[in-house]
Amino acid sequence: MASIATNQTILVVGGGISGMTAALEAAECGRQVILVERNTSLGGRTAQLYRYFPKMCHPTCGLEINLRRMKANRNLKVLTLAEIRSVSGKRGDYTVKIRLSPRYVNEKCTACGECARAVETEIPNPHDYGLGKIKAAYLPHAMAYPLRYVIDPSIIATEDGQRAKKACKYDAVDLEMKEELVEMKFGSVIWATGWKPYDASKIQPYGYDRYDNVITSIEFERLADPHGPTGGKLLRPSDGAEAKNIAFIQCAGSRDENHLRHCSRICCMASLKQSQYVSEKGESKSTIYYIDIRAIDRFEDFYRKVQEDPQVSFVKSKVANIQLDEKTGELILKGVDTEGYHRYEARHDLVVLAIGMEPESLGIPLPEDIITDSSGFMEGSKDLGQFGAGAASSPLDVNRSAQSATAAALRAIQSIYRTSSAEGGQ
Amino acid sequence: MSYRNDFLKEVEENVEEGEWVKMCMQCGVCAGSCPFGPHWEHSPQKIFMMIRAGERIQVLSSDSMWMCTSCYNCIVRCPRKLPITHIMHGLANYAHRLGLAPKGQPTRVFAKTFWDNLVKTGRVNELKLTLSHYFRDGFIQGIRNALAMKDIGLGMMKARRINPMELFGGHGLQDLEGFHAIVAKAREIEDRKKGLKNG
Amino acid sequence: MMSEMKTAAYLCSGCGLGDKLDMASLSKVAQKAGKMAIVREHPFLCSEEGVKLIHDEIEKESVTHAVIAACSRRSKTEAFSFPETALSRVNLREGVIWVVAEGHEEIRQEMAEDYVRMGCAEVKKMKLPRGNPESGKEKNILVVGGGLSGLTSALEAAETGYKVVLVEKETRLGGWASKIWKRVPFSSPYNDPQNTGILELISKVSAHKNIEIHVNSAILETSGAPGKFVVRIGKAEGTETEVKIGAIIQATGFSSYDISKLPELGGGLPHVVDQAGLEQLAIKAEGKPIAREDGKPIRSVAFVQCAGQRDESHLPYCSGHCCATSIKQAMYFKDAHPEVDTVIIYTDLRTPGMGEDFYRSAQEKGVIFTKGKVSSVENAGEGCRLKFRDLILDEESTIEADLVVLATGQVPNSGVNIELPEERNQVSVLNLSYRQGKDMPQLKYGFMDSHFICFPYETRRTGIYAAGPVRRPMDMLQATEDATGAALKAIQAVENASLGRAAHPRSGDLSFPTVRLEGCTQCKRCTVECPFGAIDEDEKRFPLFNESRCRRCGTCMGACPVRVISFENYSIDTVGSQIKAVDMPDEFSEKPRILILACENDAYPALDMAGMKNRCYSAFARIIPVRCLGSVNTIWITDALNSGYDGVMMMGCKHGDNYQCHFVKGSELANYRMGKMDDTLKQLGLETERVTTVEVAITDHEKVAAFINDYAETIRIIGMSPMKGFG
Repeated sequence: MASIATNQTILVVGGGISGMTAALEAAECGRQVILVERNTSLGGRTAQLYRYFPKMCHPTCGLEINLRRMKANRNLKVLTLAEIRSVSGKRGDYTVKIRLSPRYVNEKCTACGECARAVETEIPNPHDYGLGKIKAAYLPHAMAYPLRYVIDPSIIATEDGQRAKKACKYDAVDLEMKEELVEMKFGSVIWATGWKPYDASKIQPYGYDRYDNVITSIEFERLADPHGPTGGKLLRPSDGAEAKNIAFIQCAGSRDENHLRHCSRICCMASLKQSQYVSEKGESKSTIYYIDIRAIDRFEDFYRKVQEDPQVSFVKSKVANIQLDEKTGELILKGVDTEGYHRYEARHDLVVLAIGMEPESLGIPLPEDIITDSSGFMEGSKDLGQFGAGAASSPLDVNRSAQSATAAALRAIQSIYRTSSAEGGQ
Repeated sequence: MSYRNDFLKEVEENVEEGEWVKMCMQCGVCAGSCPFGPHWEHSPQKIFMMIRAGERIQVLSSDSMWMCTSCYNCIVRCPRKLPITHIMHGLANYAHRLGLAPKGQPTRVFAKTFWDNLVKTGRVNELKLTLSHYFRDGFIQGIRNALAMKDIGLGMMKARRINPMELFGGHGLQDLEGFHAIVAKAREIEDRKKGLKNG
Repeated sequence: MMSEMKTAAYLCSGCGLGDKLDMASLSKVAQKAGKMAIVREHPFLCSEEGVKLIHDEIEKESVTHAVIAACSRRSKTEAFSFPETALSRVNLREGVIWVVAEGHEEIRQEMAEDYVRMGCAEVKKMKLPRGNPESGKEKNILVVGGGLSGLTSALEAAETGYKVVLVEKETRLGGWASKIWKRVPFSSPYNDPQNTGILELISKVSAHKNIEIHVNSAILETSGAPGKFVVRIGKAEGTETEVKIGAIIQATGFSSYDISKLPELGGGLPHVVDQAGLEQLAIKAEGKPIAREDGKPIRSVAFVQCAGQRDESHLPYCSGHCCATSIKQAMYFKDAHPEVDTVIIYTDLRTPGMGEDFYRSAQEKGVIFTKGKVSSVENAGEGCRLKFRDLILDEESTIEADLVVLATGQVPNSGVNIELPEERNQVSVLNLSYRQGKDMPQLKYGFMDSHFICFPYETRRTGIYAAGPVRRPMDMLQATEDATGAALKAIQAVENASLGRAAHPRSGDLSFPTVRLEGCTQCKRCTVECPFGAIDEDEKRFPLFNESRCRRCGTCMGACPVRVISFENYSIDTVGSQIKAVDMPDEFSEKPRILILACENDAYPALDMAGMKNRCYSAFARIIPVRCLGSVNTIWITDALNSGYDGVMMMGCKHGDNYQCHFVKGSELANYRMGKMDDTLKQLGLETERVTTVEVAITDHEKVAAFINDYAETIRIIGMSPMKGFG
């Protein structure tokens, strides 16, 4: 493994839309790239979205194209269940330690699904943020790449583990698989580690940790998705009743010095989009509580379209608090519409928090010379050999993430070119 | 009405924490969080906007800031970390000193009673404070008020929170003169800080 | 070449295929009907051993054409990768045993056998694509526009070792960035306006050994294709230079929306300026308090956001940068003289990301923000009176200010809109000698943006990329990022073109269209319909294919009425022979045959996922993946009907405004062509229901199964085709 990477190779950390884009764009320029993803399959958060704004198209559509590009490209190698442990060295000569966690399923897997049928244990489905259950031997999702099952570590030493092993005719289940630590050389590193949702339970007045029917925008994506835990029905978690009057609370964590100082950019558009999931369900209503609607550039068209939708209303207000009506399971939102000062106590059957983005890298040991801003977003390394890309570098939407990742790919190629030409290579 | 910053500057110079007013972004979470919300005319965030809009008299004669009970909900929730409670008290104080505060506003009346009671002996005489508050609208009403509150009054007596003997003078500070000097000095410092000559 | 063809079929019996299908019978089909020279069955074909079997036979038996009958072509791609062999994948797993309900063993076997026949028929018509031998090797990059975006693209490409030719129409480099006092900060702390850095950038570009600069110049003509563009550059003085170019970046920036079109907001009054006008005043002040044009010191200034923006009678869009720009400009005043009153009137303050810090910083400096809607700006006294509705206080309000700044929007300098009649148009930027028009197609409002969220640099002219505010309204930080990304795409385009490989989305595809000119009737459909303007016409009015402009979607092949266009591995015959290979039961069998032509980008994956999720559909369906519905030639449909198919269903991407077709117009064209199918059907004496088109998104695994089943039901109701036995 170590031999395939050299000081001409680019390491891309993170296999979401930004990492895939950076890796593919560089590889399609003829450069050697290794893409490292911590999870079981590629796609990152976009694979967990139902649709994209403003086109209302499906993220898996672009994922399919990217996967096809990847399958066709010999310059690109993908490692999943792989985490960066350390990066040392300098531009043009980085030594990177990567931890490979066991999948307990080897490359012989044909994705036939026999192991899943044999196993009895169910685990919360990580693809659905735990909203639904999945067998402990599972394919991460229908578009998973690599198209290979995973055995959850919790059943390895159990009878269920043995069942999975026995069910596989192809000797693909390997319960003895162990964690490995590999070391590789790279010339440049692109950090495309993406974002994570702010911990909603920290926003005390909204009761995410207390009320079942207060969920986050990313969880709402799973509800709307026909591949999701409810088969695409907007069912409220408390009792499975169809939610018909939904509140979207903007700036849940963002633009708030008690939580995230920055504006997460995507949340306004995400809620506008999600209001359309609601409107498509017939009579259902959405109310969007906002401070400023940030529908930048041509997104304004989409905002205008939603404004014209009679099923959607807008209230300029940061909701003050939420109370639960225990009898009905409804939530009572209290606050003031600041456009002219109107007090409200509005009842909704589901509340969606347009949750803010923070850098996923907050939980990752980054090399020391990486420069970050006050919210932890990455600007790159001082030696100009490592670069941030996509939502790791700034709260960005998908389109701008792909743009940023393409720029990062150029910077990485350039960095390697500079090093090699300084060495007299060119 | 003009959108000059004159009044904003006046507030920044004269009102406790007044320099925070400009930081409000009009989200309204303070207005929604205030337990007295339904009872006042202008919400905090609206007051801040009025200050920026130069609506001096409307702001200073508003009763809104007198309604604040210092629950601090607004401060805790404000995404811009404005010390809203303090600003509201600061505005009330400033309006009072300018004589623009609403005349019969009950909180204001009580605050005045409390202050007068305190300054007299250097300690709050709970009994006298209570009585002067009850009897502010005349003797008959005072009796009515006292009867309405008698259970609480008896309870407080039992718990030794009120001593009936306080009616006869009560105890004060040993160095009352010194206390008054302290109060005068404090005011002088505050006025200097705010650039006022005399409140 | 054909005489050297050696065929082989490899049938996998793993993943339950052997349990559910009669493998022996399938082998026989491959041998007899399929005429495969070698037929092998393996219990686990994708295993190391199975792959080695195929590999060894390719080596030892000189197998040139192989059929792999196993799982979907989307599965096990790494195992079944034989780059030197023409390959057809027969989808028996996701496409047969996973989608046919239990209890239909007989028709399931028939389905599988048909698919084997189809795979064998297809592979024999395929050739291994070898790449375009005429590929252009030129790697120089042309950057049009010498503003921040163009300079950045040029420098980034040059620093990566590529030669760059930079063309700027003005006499000096720098564009807008050289006409502003300071810029919004790009990195933390986001507190104060920053130097633009444009002079340093200009001097780096000017001194760079890889960059050749042409100022005061325009593009007179651009001809050719990626890897071999020939560009004539004309200087204003009349001299001309010709350069050979591999790829092009158009970074022609924007113009400010004309302030005089906003008289209600005071456009045209002496003390009303746009943001660019204020920059001029700020440059003049050099950091000291800003004075008006007439010399009067400014003591109060009001900024009107969204002036002529987010407004359907002016610019319907938001330019994205203007809130931060006004904040920065208000800081000019506050930083020089804190006593100046600065009010920003906005409806939604849009400072995404770290811009929120910049917003806060302005508030700290005393800039006042008011949510309001301005109704008028008039002369008043020595300044202006601005009337607005205060949306928070819910009242009419007035501001008197020495100066009013209108935050007007960005209008892209995109050149000619090729969709409009010529007389209504502006001067062309690229002067492309393309048959389809002189400039790049625009997406909306003149911006040359990609329609694809996942692929921001996709334009409809291969090897030509838009960067900066000509692509999408944007601020300077975004423009820098955008220009850097565009430099990468340009580098990628020249590298791909030099190897004869396709660009996105069929990146790396070595197949390319060829045309048999002797059969061509010069109908021009291919030249008109190519979504990428790849096809010109030569002097004799024959189509002239520019392979390196081609994205290999096959829309030309679908368009051609005389069927003279084909790809080595995808042609009228590769699909046509599959259609004909199906064993057609007679009219009385009650076994209809439904041909489904499914877009390989979205519909085919959805069908696979229907299989993975065990959504069953009719075993009467025979599915053929196509590169794009645009590549569907009506001959396939008439052939199918003539040979007795009972129905033909096309599954493609959504078309219309929010189209999802990866080749822009493919599904729309297919829809249009099929609209004309009704007449053909009537002529054949067939019901119009026998041909249908459905829109399928990639997530529609549930729907695809329902579409097929509903259609099978429709066919059952209208009955079997009367055409059986005549084909």
